[in-house]
Amino acid sequence: MPSSTDAWSDALRDTGHLVAFRSRTVRRRGALVAGVVVMLGLTVLFALGPGSLHAGGELGDLLDTLVDSLTGNVGAALLGTLVLSITSSMSSGGGRELLSRSEAAIHPISARTEHLGALALSPLNLAWFIQMWGLLAVVALVAPPGRLVSAQVVAVTWILAATALGQAIGWAVEGVRRTPHGVLVVRVGGGLVVAAVVLLHLTGTLSSLVRALPTTWIADAMLGERWYAVALGLLVLAGLAVVLGARPAAWALGLPPREELRVQSGVHEARPVPVPRWGSADRALLRRLDRGSVWRSIGMRRGLIVLGAGPGLLALVAGLQWSTVIVLPGLTASGAALLFAVNAWCLDGKGMVWRETLPVPAADVFAARATVIAECMVAVSGVTVLLAVLRNGLPPLVTGLSVLACWLVVVVQILATAMSWSVRSPYSVDLSSPRATPAPHAAMAAYAGKLSLVTTMTALLFTGAAATPVAWLPIAMAVPFLAWSTWKLRRARRRWLAPVERARIVLTVAAV
Amino acid sequence: MTHTPAVVVRDLRVRFGDVEAVSGVDLTADSGQATALLGRNGAGKSTTMKVLAGVVPPTAGAVSVAGHDAATDALGVKRVVGYCPDVGGLVPRATPWEHLQLTARLRRVDDWEERGRDMLERFELGDVAHRVVGGFSHGMSRRLSVVLAALHEPAVLLLDEPFDGVDPLGVEATLEVVADARARGACVLLSTHLRDLALKACGTAVVLRGGNRVAAMQAAELTGEAYRALLD
Repeated sequence: MPSSTDAWSDALRDTGHLVAFRSRTVRRRGALVAGVVVMLGLTVLFALGPGSLHAGGELGDLLDTLVDSLTGNVGAALLGTLVLSITSSMSSGGGRELLSRSEAAIHPISARTEHLGALALSPLNLAWFIQMWGLLAVVALVAPPGRLVSAQVVAVTWILAATALGQAIGWAVEGVRRTPHGVLVVRVGGGLVVAAVVLLHLTGTLSSLVRALPTTWIADAMLGERWYAVALGLLVLAGLAVVLGARPAAWALGLPPREELRVQSGVHEARPVPVPRWGSADRALLRRLDRGSVWRSIGMRRGLIVLGAGPGLLALVAGLQWSTVIVLPGLTASGAALLFAVNAWCLDGKGMVWRETLPVPAADVFAARATVIAECMVAVSGVTVLLAVLRNGLPPLVTGLSVLACWLVVVVQILATAMSWSVRSPYSVDLSSPRATPAPHAAMAAYAGKLSLVTTMTALLFTGAAATPVAWLPIAMAVPFLAWSTWKLRRARRRWLAPVERARIVLTVAAV
Repeated sequence: MTHTPAVVVRDLRVRFGDVEAVSGVDLTADSGQATALLGRNGAGKSTTMKVLAGVVPPTAGAVSVAGHDAATDALGVKRVVGYCPDVGGLVPRATPWEHLQLTARLRRVDDWEERGRDMLERFELGDVAHRVVGGFSHGMSRRLSVVLAALHEPAVLLLDEPFDGVDPLGVEATLEVVADARARGACVLLSTHLRDLALKACGTAVVLRGGNRVAAMQAAELTGEAYRALLD
């Protein structure tokens, strides 16, 4: 019988083989290298850049106010990283998979290897990167000169520990979900946690509770003399979480995926053919089929709910200012696009060939798919905006127009980009597992980076417009953005309408 | 009056990048007849079927399906064809009934429900009509693909590997569908590796090799030895 050390060394070796196998399938190596360099560059920029910000006059006062408000909230930022890691692994069924379930079925891949693979893939996630950059930027702003590097070392070790802890908790929750009545237990438990947070906030005790958590002590210690002891302790914690996380992983992966099996064996009584008030019934039927493909997928449904509720609750509880809220629709809509829209045709899987034999204009198929994607993005980002309105009340005219214009711009922007990617680089993927991704992991990381960067920069421009007294400015700014995105969307549509291009996409997605 | 076959293929060529999947296939198939398309893996059978179904445009050559040009009128081709693809062919999170509903609606078939129910029963899929097909076995998916291809009683029925992984009852039901289609005057093209079943279902046979047609004959003439000789 192999020892535990042997089993871990085998798992590490197997993970290496799987990562190497996946990396050999990367189509555009140059783009991958460029993407890695950009991400590393941005990480260094966020870690060191804010620390060198110096300004005088009004801007200097604003910066001082920002630093003062952040100084007491580093502990909360650390806690946010942990919460996000847990939420991310929970919503992806324990964690992403290096090989899809059907591909992995013929190989002797252990639960430890699956666990290590999921850990290795954790950073390839939009939310993870944004949270990491945000934390590094906050630490860089509050760390006094001479303490920046040591504080960032502690921040990085905390990110490692939080990722490993989140992964372990994610596996444990997935294990519970796979027990009889586990889905109900997880849903009720999640609801209770959210209700408790809201209640604590309403009673005014949330802030003091957050400050009483060990993350506040870590935040203080990272700026002190004994930072290295904290970093060492966090590294040990990360190592322990990695080792102990293999146990819930083995437990969860040894149980049948009840929620998926329930969906697969569940009965969905057919509804009558829709009779739309406007537009054709054919398109309405196509849209209904596409909506069913989205909402009957465990991974997509869970992802859309988390994306809708998570940032919205943050806006509600933390009382985010409109200047911050304006960034959120772009990020949540990007997250929704990353669930399936970046490879939009994969919704049909192998059924793509059958869909293509239906006597319906290709333009209708494109329109139906684009509409359903836009619906998903508007729904999740709309929840965020709605909860922000509930918390902050209606914004002033210029701010409100800026939020609305920015929201519209980023949705059309992401839709055009996602449809362009779907036409240019289709992939054959099986999205039956919530652990699956709509494109290879390297491509997903690149998509996430590009979407978050573009939408954040766009939102920052509209934040600037909101600070002016000119009501027509955000509307005027939206026009060129919308024109450009519409042109991109029409270009993607033109490519889809070309029979040879469409055949390439169909055959690639259906893998025939 | 001149007789025009339901399917006419002249020097069909299909190229995917550097790979020529079909390189000069000629084929004719008449209404009321079933023609078997035989050949080894990679012979070009499935690609030819996809061209006839309007899914893949021909790179060169002439393809006419029930009077519609596959290169210029793919939508017209799709209206007259019923196609069972070789792999999958089903939207994973939709139910069989939703598949039937969509195909009937888009082909303007009224009062299809009774026939749909009857066909699902014949293929022993009645009990799972409202379950998503993602949980189906391979054989169940194949049987449903045949039902979808035949529901609207197409003028040209294309069945690509319809017997693959299907149990004997499903095979019988598929043979019945072929016989029904022939009886009502439809043209049937059936691609398979199973020579015995091909002979049972079809009157004529066409053998492809390396993207070319190497033989066309009466199915009864295609003995085991003759078939093997054509494959090598």
